[in-house]
Amino acid sequence: MEAYLIAIGIFAGIYLLLALGLNLQFGMTGLINFGHVGFFCIGAYTSALLATNGVPVALSLAAGGFAAMLAAWPLGVVSIRLREDYFAIASLGFSEIVRLVVTSEGWLTKGVQGIPGIPRIFPGVSSQMQSMLMFGLVMVLCLLAILAMRRIVKSPFGRMIEAIRDNEEAVRSLGKEPAGFKMQVLLLGSLLAGVAGGLYAHYIGYISPDQFIPFITFQIWMAIIMGGVGRISGTVAGVIILMTFLEGSRFLRDVAPFIPEVAMASIRLGVIGLALMLFTIYRPQGLMGDYTKR
Amino acid sequence: MTGFAELLFSGLMSGLIIGLAGLAVTLVFGIARFSNAATGDTMTLGAYGALVGSAFTGSVILGSLIGLAAGALASVVSYLLVFRPLQGRSPISSLLASIGLAFFIRAIIGLVFGHDQNVFQLDIVRPIKFAGIRIQPNDLKFAAVAISTLAVVFIILHLTPIGRRMRAVADNPLLAKVSGISPRPVMLALWSIAGAVSAIAGIILGMKTVVSPESGWEMLLPAFAAAVLGGIGHPIGAIVGGLLIGVAQELATPFVGFTYKIAVSFIVLLLVLLIRPKGLFGRSEGVR
Repeated sequence: MEAYLIAIGIFAGIYLLLALGLNLQFGMTGLINFGHVGFFCIGAYTSALLATNGVPVALSLAAGGFAAMLAAWPLGVVSIRLREDYFAIASLGFSEIVRLVVTSEGWLTKGVQGIPGIPRIFPGVSSQMQSMLMFGLVMVLCLLAILAMRRIVKSPFGRMIEAIRDNEEAVRSLGKEPAGFKMQVLLLGSLLAGVAGGLYAHYIGYISPDQFIPFITFQIWMAIIMGGVGRISGTVAGVIILMTFLEGSRFLRDVAPFIPEVAMASIRLGVIGLALMLFTIYRPQGLMGDYTKR
Repeated sequence: MTGFAELLFSGLMSGLIIGLAGLAVTLVFGIARFSNAATGDTMTLGAYGALVGSAFTGSVILGSLIGLAAGALASVVSYLLVFRPLQGRSPISSLLASIGLAFFIRAIIGLVFGHDQNVFQLDIVRPIKFAGIRIQPNDLKFAAVAISTLAVVFIILHLTPIGRRMRAVADNPLLAKVSGISPRPVMLALWSIAGAVSAIAGIILGMKTVVSPESGWEMLLPAFAAAVLGGIGHPIGAIVGGLLIGVAQELATPFVGFTYKIAVSFIVLLLVLLIRPKGLFGRSEGVR
């Protein structure tokens, strides 16, 4: 049971890193990134490939984050100046192309077979110890990310991106160019997603393209919207709700084994979809948001 | 040379499907003013409706009409339940809700029909040779259906009173309102047309290939690319954009391989956004 809780904690931490990045992008800056899973995927594959080829894990993790950031840059150059929903579609396309490349370039990524045997982060310890250390590492990284977010919110940079979210035209009329700030936010969020991807790959030990579908992106979206967009406490709450739901649906299968796994996958998809619709219609400010207005 | 001509023909065929899907995207964007990500899954729904309908009635044509009705109905219901409450809010809300709707539709289809691939029971006909090109007679029928669909949509848009109102709302919603155009019938007409067009695209796609719960979602990117290439909100543009993308996909296949076919629409999308964001026929209103 303890091992199980730690495992959930590790996944929750990885999801939280993803959600914090997305909250910075959408919640604070208003940047609609529908391709978050693409950067997660790039981080995971970069780190996994480097580590299986003998690069030390600490280095490969950093490289994963850096590679995700590097991949975000051309996407930003091309599309960040566009109207927000165009960027949404371009980024969604980007993540699909990442998955397509990973699937097709078998010489590098072993295609649909995936990469097995990705080395653990802490070599030479028992598997129980491994999970404990991993949990500690993920939590430290999450804490660092949260502290960084708080610093950002309070800094002039934070005020600027919130101004961009609230009224881009006004920012422009004051002589500031929003695109540069948006680009920095895109890169920062991608860095977080890339590191999260590396952690995921090393923890799971096996990655394949079908783990990086757009559904992951929108799970994160649901988490930040449900929790409360633009708030760090909301992001944390949203991730906890999301993990409870995902794990709860696994428990449901133990209680009701007559539901086949494919049906359960459909149910998860449907519930996330329904939650996205209901929250955007009835509670756009999320659970942790302002209760005085609708 | 015949190889080239055959690629061109099959490109035009898939281009018609992409164009129809792009037309649904562009109509909704022009009048309801947001990008509808549920377009792909409405296509899937139409295809499954047609599968069930043809199993039930024993006729593919009757079945397709049932699929068409299912797509239109689902689309109108989604407007009434999801998109109407979001009217007046930021287009982002509607876009997000449409993603949720897309997942929801796909989940229901997956639960009801399972995840296996289904095929339509079509008669197998010998391909006819025309000027050295092998052409499937079914393809000609699909093309005829697609072109008549376009004709009907343009007749509605340009020759009927409701079409005129729809164009007025697309042109200037406020002006349309002060001129006494009630938004409700316009929206109902829009959503039923968009749903029916998506369903037809989904049915043709399903007849040409297979029907699976994911097949519509995978058409979303090409559909958006077609709409953007043609100039978003511009119906003829979406068709032209779809045809161009379909042909580009097929002609690129010998060079980049079959797997990267889908990437073509993404490249087209990025290039258009980079070079000419208002598209081929678009007006220059705020894209950036």
